Amino acid sequence: MAQWTVLLGGSGLPDCALPDRALVGGKAWSIARMAALGLDVPPAFVIGTAACNAYLGAGHFPDGLEAEIDDGIAWLEAHTGRTFGRGDKRLLLSIRSGAAISMPGMMDTVLNLGIDEGGEAALAAETGLPVFAADTQRRFHELFAAIVPDGPATGSVRGQLHAAVRAVFDSWNTRRARRYRDHNGIAHDLGTAVTIQAMVFGNLDETSGTGVLFSRNPLNGDPVPYGEYLPRAQGEDVVSGKFTPLGLDAMLSHVPQAHAALLEASALLERENGDVQDIEFTVQSGRLYLLQSRSAKRAPAAAVRIAVDMVDEGRVDAATALSRVSAEQVSTLLLPHLAPGASEGAELLASGEGACPGVASGILVSDPDEAERRAAAGEAVVLVRATTSPDDVHGMIAARAVVTEQGGSTSHAAVVSRALGRPCVVGTGAGAQARAGALVTVDGAGGKVYAGALPTKTPHEDDHPYLARLIAWARELSPVTVVRSGIGASPAGIDIDRVVGEGGTEALAEALAGQSAAYGSGLSNPEIARIARRSGVTAMTTDPILPALLVALES
Amino acid sequence: MNARDLVLHAAAIKRHAPAPAIAALAGLPASQAKDELDALVASGRAISANGAYALTPLAGVALQARYGFHFAELREDAKFVAAYEGFERINVTLKQTITDWQTLDVGGMRIANDHSNKAHDEAVIDRLGGLHEKAEPILGALAAALPRLSYYGDKLLAALEAAEDGEHEWVSDVRRDSYHTVWFELHEELLRIMGREREE
Repeated sequence: MAQWTVLLGGSGLPDCALPDRALVGGKAWSIARMAALGLDVPPAFVIGTAACNAYLGAGHFPDGLEAEIDDGIAWLEAHTGRTFGRGDKRLLLSIRSGAAISMPGMMDTVLNLGIDEGGEAALAAETGLPVFAADTQRRFHELFAAIVPDGPATGSVRGQLHAAVRAVFDSWNTRRARRYRDHNGIAHDLGTAVTIQAMVFGNLDETSGTGVLFSRNPLNGDPVPYGEYLPRAQGEDVVSGKFTPLGLDAMLSHVPQAHAALLEASALLERENGDVQDIEFTVQSGRLYLLQSRSAKRAPAAAVRIAVDMVDEGRVDAATALSRVSAEQVSTLLLPHLAPGASEGAELLASGEGACPGVASGILVSDPDEAERRAAAGEAVVLVRATTSPDDVHGMIAARAVVTEQGGSTSHAAVVSRALGRPCVVGTGAGAQARAGALVTVDGAGGKVYAGALPTKTPHEDDHPYLARLIAWARELSPVTVVRSGIGASPAGIDIDRVVGEGGTEALAEALAGQSAAYGSGLSNPEIARIARRSGVTAMTTDPILPALLVALES
Repeated sequence: MNARDLVLHAAAIKRHAPAPAIAALAGLPASQAKDELDALVASGRAISANGAYALTPLAGVALQARYGFHFAELREDAKFVAAYEGFERINVTLKQTITDWQTLDVGGMRIANDHSNKAHDEAVIDRLGGLHEKAEPILGALAAALPRLSYYGDKLLAALEAAEDGEHEWVSDVRRDSYHTVWFELHEELLRIMGREREE
């Protein structure tokens, strides 16, 4: 009976009961759970948190741990038909930290551990890809040197494995991790687990590949699996952006059995977890392996559609559905956009990369001081610069939108515009500043600057089929009454718009103290609604109402 | 730099800031910085509005012209220049990290991050912490050559720790000394010291 380690399933057969999450950490637990559901995951074993605590207490591995690691490796070898540090089919490993509670400062993943000079040659022969084998060897050494600075970069792979495990244990006590635990009241003796998993190869042959699958479309919420597949590639190739991934159709034609297994797994994981899943997978010689499954990130339109659909399908209740839609997502859906056909025939003044979505019109001004002055006088201005620097921030705050001639989506202008929520187009090329003085409309999503003030359309929450459903549920569950402006008697309580107009949001909390009712369009802004909610306001009058309702439902 | 140029320099970097913030960046006592600022306003080199200060355009140009004199030694200091170049390399990662904080990759499309996905936010803040650890030796080398620059390392660490503790505005809010605000002020400081132009 192993004292320090737990084997985590393997080829679809659970080798043990679901382990205690506190002892093996979140990552190992989710691997074990997928295995317990009968899904194929690359075999893995985990060194539990007890071994970490014993190591940190004594300064060396506890008795018996090395032998158990050797046993774990032998078990991985048996399950994969590969050998660690020898032979012509090499076993390569990923090493990951895994505390029960995620925290900053813990060690990153080490990939491809087990490759050495002989391993590179073996991998080159097996895949027929000598460049890939050399790359794998190089990437391993870079990562290993960065994460295990005192580790044996050359030498036995077993020694490297032990050094990587020690590095994970030691990362429990990095300055950042300790400070985080102190601040959040997390005990210092919980320790971290170490998950050691066999790596699978998506580039082994013509029936191998790698990809990502969403159990529903994460952009628009369509209840249809949506994914990308890259034949004959490793996960790093997808991230690198060097290759253009193909759709799921390509997977169906390349590896039909793995495709069918993937769709089955997707439906199963979504049902079991009660939420849309984002699944990373690799196909090795026609066989599907699931690497990770978690709740998917989703665009606002997808968030509302999925929430409503899942209630209709009987998968979640209304309260859960509402908890998966944020007030900010609803606000985004209700932002003004160019009216249909508005840009047809409009003169395109400049075009670049859209860095922050939204539409705004104003006079193009190329000087930040002038922008601030004219905005203070009530004029709508759009700031245009070659690039921006901290010198320009006051002008960006004053402007309705920002345009730059140079720079990309990570430039200062892009970062600051997103922080301010200003529609922004970057990298239009020279000439935009020369149009200063013109009245323009900026389409931040499309990356376009048009001449003139184009008509915009502001969607209404009642006209939106999914938002209307969410409003009905939220009204029933909300502890705060939210009434739409302009309906019934004149609104009660304090005028939020007046308070914000005179003293900014800083003045709000004070003005709201002791008030139970408030009204004004400002309450449709989630941040302002949160301040009102914290101040104890229980009746709000505003338009639109759904953002405020969702704020009222936040725990 | 003398106290007057230090205050001009700090006001140029921390534009439209109140006197205490300018004093902190200049590394001068608050009262001395306030006196210098008042003198600059009186002589037409700065303007003040609502308690915040900004240089007049001519004073800004004149200050730029004196940088070559003030920073001649630093520009020739191999250790300082190497640290500056290290900063520029990390700057590329910083910009990507802040962009990943503000946006989400959803099925291959970049959308605004509404911070409803806690795991994403925690992962980005963890990366920011890792980046800060890589930056620390560089910040140390910069401050070793010019002690006043330790201001930035202290402010960056304070912003990082506030973000790690769950106050997420400290990552990139432009209206406070967030990690991004201080990082860009340091970038601006270094560009002025080195006499270089910002690329984007």
